[in-house]
Amino acid sequence: MLKFLAKKIPSILLVLFATSIIAFLLPRMAPGDPAQAVAGSDATEEQVAAIRAAMGLDKSLFVQYLDWLGGFVRGDLGMSFVYNRPVSELILDRAESTIELALLASVFMIVLGIGLGVMGGAARSKTARVVADSVNTLLIAVPAFVVGLLLIILFGVVWRLLPVSGEVSLSEDFGIGFQYLLLPALALGLALAPGIARLLQTTMLATQGEDFVDLARAKGASPRRLTYRHVLRTSLGASIVAIGMRFGELFGGAIIIEAIFARNGLGQLIVQAVNSRDYLLVQVLIMAAVLIAVISQLLTEVVLAAMDPRIRLED
Amino acid sequence: MDRNDATRPVTVPSTQVLVTTRNAQRLLTPNATARRYLAAFRTPRGIVGGIILVLLVALALLAPVIFPGGYDQQGRGALAAPNLTHLFGTDELGRDILVRTVYGLRMDLSIIIVAVPISVVVGTALGLLGALSHFAGSFVQRVLDIILGFPGVVLGLCIVLIIGPGWTSLVIAIAITGLPVFGRQARASLLEQEQREYVTAARALGVSKRTILVRHILPNSVDPILVNAAVFVVAAIFIEAGLSIIGLGIQPPEPSLGTLLNVGMRFIEQSPMYILGPTLVLILLSMSFSLISDALNATVTRK
Repeated sequence: MLKFLAKKIPSILLVLFATSIIAFLLPRMAPGDPAQAVAGSDATEEQVAAIRAAMGLDKSLFVQYLDWLGGFVRGDLGMSFVYNRPVSELILDRAESTIELALLASVFMIVLGIGLGVMGGAARSKTARVVADSVNTLLIAVPAFVVGLLLIILFGVVWRLLPVSGEVSLSEDFGIGFQYLLLPALALGLALAPGIARLLQTTMLATQGEDFVDLARAKGASPRRLTYRHVLRTSLGASIVAIGMRFGELFGGAIIIEAIFARNGLGQLIVQAVNSRDYLLVQVLIMAAVLIAVISQLLTEVVLAAMDPRIRLED
Repeated sequence: MDRNDATRPVTVPSTQVLVTTRNAQRLLTPNATARRYLAAFRTPRGIVGGIILVLLVALALLAPVIFPGGYDQQGRGALAAPNLTHLFGTDELGRDILVRTVYGLRMDLSIIIVAVPISVVVGTALGLLGALSHFAGSFVQRVLDIILGFPGVVLGLCIVLIIGPGWTSLVIAIAITGLPVFGRQARASLLEQEQREYVTAARALGVSKRTILVRHILPNSVDPILVNAAVFVVAAIFIEAGLSIIGLGIQPPEPSLGTLLNVGMRFIEQSPMYILGPTLVLILLSMSFSLISDALNATVTRK
């Protein structure tokens, strides 16, 4: 385990280091002068220069980068030009909303993904298999935001069962907050589930032809026991990889889902930051998105090894 | 390919005749590769996906003929529900949503047809670079790993930040998103093919690295890459719609499927039917590619 981490960490640090350079340079390649934007269009040249100096933009790119990276390591994420507040404060304010959304969405994603996959992989009748296949094919073709829009129409406009716009945080009022959270999380989870289901189904169908399944059948295991105990258990590893790969996507998808359901999370923050060219905010959020993706990838590998004794992390 | 020309006896007098008739036959009937691909369109999934795609492409191509008024023609009733004259209803300016959806489909297809081939070609080339230089190959893979770390929409946001929203940034965002997909696939094929005996044999015969790459490895890598390309089109459609829906894609009044959803979202209370038409077309488009990729995967990929 330690050996595995020691082997993995350099390459992760390399990815993060490269990302930090990209995240730093990208916003600066954008046209327009942020100092001018902050100062307003009728500011004098001296005022713009003063603001530029205050923002540290008069220094060379390399010094700016080192300043930023140094602050990053110390936990000082810098100030947002537009909001005139520390970036860390802005992110903490919005993080709860996005984390709640991502957590509930991943519950939906895992339950629906494995459920649909088992339905397809364990189905013995041809009709059941065709139904599971068709549902899956349809769901794969439907992105999260379309599921979201359809859920809004169904539960917000036609039946008016659940709130579809805005949010109440769970820590404030769990019951009402949950109502606000339900549809966006379902949309996000439902859209990511079929990828997991598809993989699990394929693996289960392949596993059914293995010798040890024949052996179990010969020993008189019931079809139910065969499916759950023998086939499903050995096939779960593949779906864990699929789930881990989708955690990063979960946060990417949250950007759009938050826009549709008018939730004020990190996704909305990054869209606003891009629109207002708020350098420091954008670069920190890009770093955060990549960091989450990389960490979930690492966790996936650890969980996978814990589940399957054939995989040794030392290798 | 099952025909092995090298084993054919060359001393038989009628060889010349045999070869020419064979060549004539080859001209008439599609060769083995084309046949394998055509077989995909004889499976149920391939038939359904192919028909939907052909209909959608025909509709998009013929849009200026069927709807010569263009996508910006305003009518009387705004936000009307679907009726006989306006099958998908009308938008906030009284424009026919069906017309706008078809022109939006045109926009989506124009993005896909440029972005996906660029991504496939560049990604594959980057992935196969390892055949020429070991160092370049592994360096490229590290770069692709970095791109892979960016969730799809975040990458799009970065591009929009630099060059502003629009057709070009969508094409670039989609093309870059696909690079790791095709680059890693090509690399996997490369590593697999390099182990094969025929590559070792070619190398032992003194065939150059470049020739081995072009004559042996590339042709054997094409199948999984094409299947992946069909899968990736679905992702490309989602990227376009996703960026447009948060206002960072195609800018109104020009329609794209995502832009229509972006505007329709604001009128979801007054006119829930607004987004249903564009949604339907979006789902049909991505489903057709998803079905075709399944069919290709089942028939073309050699196990």
